[in-house]
Amino acid sequence: MEALLQLLFNGLSVGAVYALFALGYTLVFSVLGVINFAHGAIFTLGAYFTYFLIGGAVGANGLMAGLQLPFALPFWLALPLAGLGAAAVALVLERIAFRPLRDRGSDPLLALITSLGAGVILVNLIQLLVGAESYSIPVETLESLPVALSIAGAKVRTVQVMLLAIAGLLLAALSIWIDGSRSGKALQAVSEDPITAQLLGINSGRMIQIAFGISGFLAGVAGGLVGLSVSIAGPYFGIGYGLKGLGVLVLGGLGSVPGAVLGGLIIGLAEACVPAELSGYKDAVSFGFLFLVLLIRPQGLLGRPQANKV
Amino acid sequence: MDAGLLEQMLLGALLGLSVYLPLRCGQLSLATPGFFAIGGTVAALLSTRLPALAGSGSTYPITSVLLEMALAALLTGVLALGLGRVVLRLRGIYLAIATIALVEILRVVTLNLEFTGGALGIFGIPQPFDSAAGYAAFTLALLALICWLCDRLEKTRPGRAMAAIRDDELAAASQGINTADTKLLAFVLSALVAGITGVVAAHFLNSWNAKLGNFDASITTLAFVVFGGSRTWLGPVFGGLLLTALPELLRPVGDLRLIVFGAVILVGPLFFPQGVITPELFKTLKRIMLRPPTPAAQGGKP
Repeated sequence: MEALLQLLFNGLSVGAVYALFALGYTLVFSVLGVINFAHGAIFTLGAYFTYFLIGGAVGANGLMAGLQLPFALPFWLALPLAGLGAAAVALVLERIAFRPLRDRGSDPLLALITSLGAGVILVNLIQLLVGAESYSIPVETLESLPVALSIAGAKVRTVQVMLLAIAGLLLAALSIWIDGSRSGKALQAVSEDPITAQLLGINSGRMIQIAFGISGFLAGVAGGLVGLSVSIAGPYFGIGYGLKGLGVLVLGGLGSVPGAVLGGLIIGLAEACVPAELSGYKDAVSFGFLFLVLLIRPQGLLGRPQANKV
Repeated sequence: MDAGLLEQMLLGALLGLSVYLPLRCGQLSLATPGFFAIGGTVAALLSTRLPALAGSGSTYPITSVLLEMALAALLTGVLALGLGRVVLRLRGIYLAIATIALVEILRVVTLNLEFTGGALGIFGIPQPFDSAAGYAAFTLALLALICWLCDRLEKTRPGRAMAAIRDDELAAASQGINTADTKLLAFVLSALVAGITGVVAAHFLNSWNAKLGNFDASITTLAFVVFGGSRTWLGPVFGGLLLTALPELLRPVGDLRLIVFGAVILVGPLFFPQGVITPELFKTLKRIMLRPPTPAAQGGKP
């Protein structure tokens, strides 16, 4: 029973990060119909921002070697600020890599390439400025909180519980906003058809910016949380998550918010169930799963089927 | 120019062609690095484990390389035939992600299997050529052959059917084109090119591991085609040559080189939404070459 609970917690906390990640993809996909390949880089950036804001010093290899903030923020303050920083970068990204294409009415496929270019720039900029070494956010940042909790006999790391709680909170806030508020409904209208939405008096351009901002915020927070629970394994560490997030996105259904959450939790749990001696095959399990779902239900678990337009 | 860099550029052009073939048919398949990895693994295994292939001379016989190519083509072709039937039912971004999943599954499996050398890979792959220049000449011939075949394809019925599907699949089907078979043909051809390229790359690189066919490679090879242009075979060749060379040519700017590389990929599609090489470009060039400058071209607006 304890082992099962442990497994459940491990799976859910990893899954929650995947869900946060995939939600960022989904928001952008729902309004623009493209995948933002720089999303992994924004996630990485969020992790570095968090590390920096809690007063971490930059290592010796980058141009900013030894740089450190004169103050150290507590983690609960550093995390949302890092999220805001990541959101700001996501807005810049929208301005330089997505909006010019939209203004010219270019093929949406091109945004895959421009966002990839932006991602390459971001990742290498990080490498140039702070070096390629890995950083870790010490658990002491959590101050008075204990390192591990005991829930119904199972020992669970506090970080994991926190991860799950924060992710759950953000996901709930997001779905309340999308379904319950005027601007959330406007976002849905834009994802249905940007031009019609514009005709109905919705500022589509603004809604797209909002989608990018939220997407960046979620990625930044997810980055900070992973930095705390695992570590920041160098500038490229977002890529693996980016790839997994892509799988989660399709598994749940492109453009579906509950789908992204469900997909994240399923993949997280599936990975947690892979026994330790086969852990090398972990990634193959989630992608194999994704592949099967695609073949049986191409629109994903909760997505709408693609209409065959004539 | 350094022959080693030239060889890498030529391999880049071949991979670009492999991504281009399904894309010309409107299918965004990113499976190229997977088939490339299979080709490389086949070459690495055969040439290091089968003494019969090594021959008696000091260098590895080219006939053995050709044999490896044939086997790699057979394997990737059969695999693509089976997988293509299944994955090509998916459209657009779904197909792209399903193929990424395939590449990842393949990479993870190769990484964990004993006989493919695990994470370290396979070392000491024998060399059929003494120098990089030999490889470059061989690969150039291969590239020329495949370009010629692509050119023939574009001018014949299956190639035109592919272009029709790209423009409008439903309209193509209503004109009596068997869209499923045509898409499958493009997918299989793409796999063959990638598999054969993998064989050459394995010998050239001297060692082979699972990392060579990963997600990064999927996206970079796609960039070759989108940057160069996906309307004629010259586009991916141009994109592959240029984008492979760029990080090396940018060595003088040091640490900034990958940032500049990213900027080129970012800015390219903004200025060349159809890719750099388009049929219109040829028409414009032809007009400029064939006709003396008209008054309008000299700036005299009416």
